[in-house]
Amino acid sequence: MTDDTSPPDDIEVSDTGLALDGPPQEMYKFLRDHMPVMAVEHEMMTGTSVALHEDVMTVLQNPNIFSSLGAAEIGQVRPLIPLEIDPPDHSKFRKLLDPLFAPRRVAELEASTRSLVNDLIDAVIEDGACNFHSSIAEPLPSQVFLTMFGLPVERTAEFIELKDGIIRPPVEGIEAATEHRNITGQKIYAAIQEAIDEKKANPTGDFISQFLDAEVDGHRLTEDDVLDIGYLFFLAGLDTVTASLDCMLAYLAQNPADQRRLVEAPDDIPAAMEELLRWETPVAGVIRVATQDTELSGCPIRAGDKVSVNLGSANTDERFWDEADSVDFDREINKHIAFGGGIHRCLGSHLARMELRVGLQEWHKRVPSYELKPGTTPAYTMGLRSVDNLELIWET
Amino acid sequence: MKVHLDRERCQGHGRCYVLASSVFESDDDGYGFVISGAVPDDFHDAARKGAGNCPEDAITLIRD
Repeated sequence: MTDDTSPPDDIEVSDTGLALDGPPQEMYKFLRDHMPVMAVEHEMMTGTSVALHEDVMTVLQNPNIFSSLGAAEIGQVRPLIPLEIDPPDHSKFRKLLDPLFAPRRVAELEASTRSLVNDLIDAVIEDGACNFHSSIAEPLPSQVFLTMFGLPVERTAEFIELKDGIIRPPVEGIEAATEHRNITGQKIYAAIQEAIDEKKANPTGDFISQFLDAEVDGHRLTEDDVLDIGYLFFLAGLDTVTASLDCMLAYLAQNPADQRRLVEAPDDIPAAMEELLRWETPVAGVIRVATQDTELSGCPIRAGDKVSVNLGSANTDERFWDEADSVDFDREINKHIAFGGGIHRCLGSHLARMELRVGLQEWHKRVPSYELKPGTTPAYTMGLRSVDNLELIWET
Repeated sequence: MKVHLDRERCQGHGRCYVLASSVFESDDDGYGFVISGAVPDDFHDAARKGAGNCPEDAITLIRD
C-alpha cells in the first residue's frame, strides 16, 4: 500500500462512524479504499482480511496455497467434509455429494417447498403483520433441510438454537465464544449420531441413510465421515437461506419500486434474486489458511496465517463491477460470488436458489405490498447476515 | 462462433445452463457442458450471456 492510503495502524471500525449492524456496503467501500488487506481480530478468527475482488478470487481459486483445513473453528473435532478436505480427496467427496444437490434433484423438491411456503404464509397473512425472520425465513429452509437430511422436524427449535450457539455464541469475548462453540458442537454431534443410529436400524430415503450406504473411492463411508458431513450440512443448511431471505425482504421492504416490480413482473424474480444476492451477499465472508508464505496486493501473508475473504466487498468492488453500487435487476453480466468460488463453491447453492426463488414468488403473490413496521430498523448480524428484528406490516 | 467450457475451471455454479439453455446443459452433478461446440448464429447472444456470467471465467468464445 502507498502512504496516502495507509490508515493509522490501530484504526477501529467504529472510527468510521458506520453502524456495525447497518447495511455493510459503505463499510466495504471504506475497507477497499483504505485497508484492502488488513489485520483483523474478532470472535471468528485472528488473521488477515481481504476486500478486493481480485484478491478474493486469488484466494478462492488457489486451494493449494489457501487451504480450508483448520480455517473455520466452529466447534468441530475433526475436519468437516467436504469443506476442510483439500485436493485430491476433495473431489472424491464432491463426486458423491454434488449429484444430491444438482438442479435436477433440487427440482423434485420444488412443489413441496412451494406448499410449505404457503403454509407459513397462511399462518400470518390475516394478521397483517409478522416477524418475517421467525415466521418465514427460519422455518422454511430448516424444514426443507431437516426433512432432506433425516433429522426430526419436530426438534427444529432446538436445532436452530444449537446452530446459533455456533454461529452467534451468546457470550462475550473470544475465549468464551470458543468454549461455547465446543460445548454446542458436542450437542450437534450427539443429535446427528442419534439419527445415524436410528437410520442404521431403519433406513429411509434421506441423506443420512444414503450416506451410510455410500462409497467414496471404493471405500464405504465411516460413521465419522457421515458425522463430519452432517455437522457441516447442519450449520450450512440451517442458517444461510434464512439470512438470505432476511436480507432480501429487508431490502425490498425499504425499496417499494423494486418490490412492486417483483409483484407486477414475477418473471423478473430470478434476475432480481441474483442481483440481491450480489448486493446483500448474505454470507459475507469465508476463511482460508495460507499453506506457504505468499502475498496479496503486495502485503505479505505468512504460512499458517488465516485469511478471511470478504465476499460482500468483492461483490460490490467498483474496480470489478460496472455501477457497483446501484441495485439493477436488469444487469446483463452478474458473475457474483455470493456462493463463494473455486473448488469449495457452496454445495447447496442450487437448493438455496430454489428455496429463495420459491419464497420470493409465493410471498409476492400473496402479500403484494408490505413495509417495515414503523419505528423499526433492520439490525443485521455480522458474518452471516440475518435480521432477527425484521418486522413487516401489510394491509389485509 | 465456437464455445469452449474448461471443465477444470468450472465449479458448477450453474449460471451458464440456467441463463443460456440453448447452448449449455447441466450434467448429473450440476456442472455445465456445451451442447454443441459450434454455435449457430441464432444462439450467439445466449453464448455470450452464458460466458459472461460465469464467476470462474471458465467459458471462452472463439470467433470463426
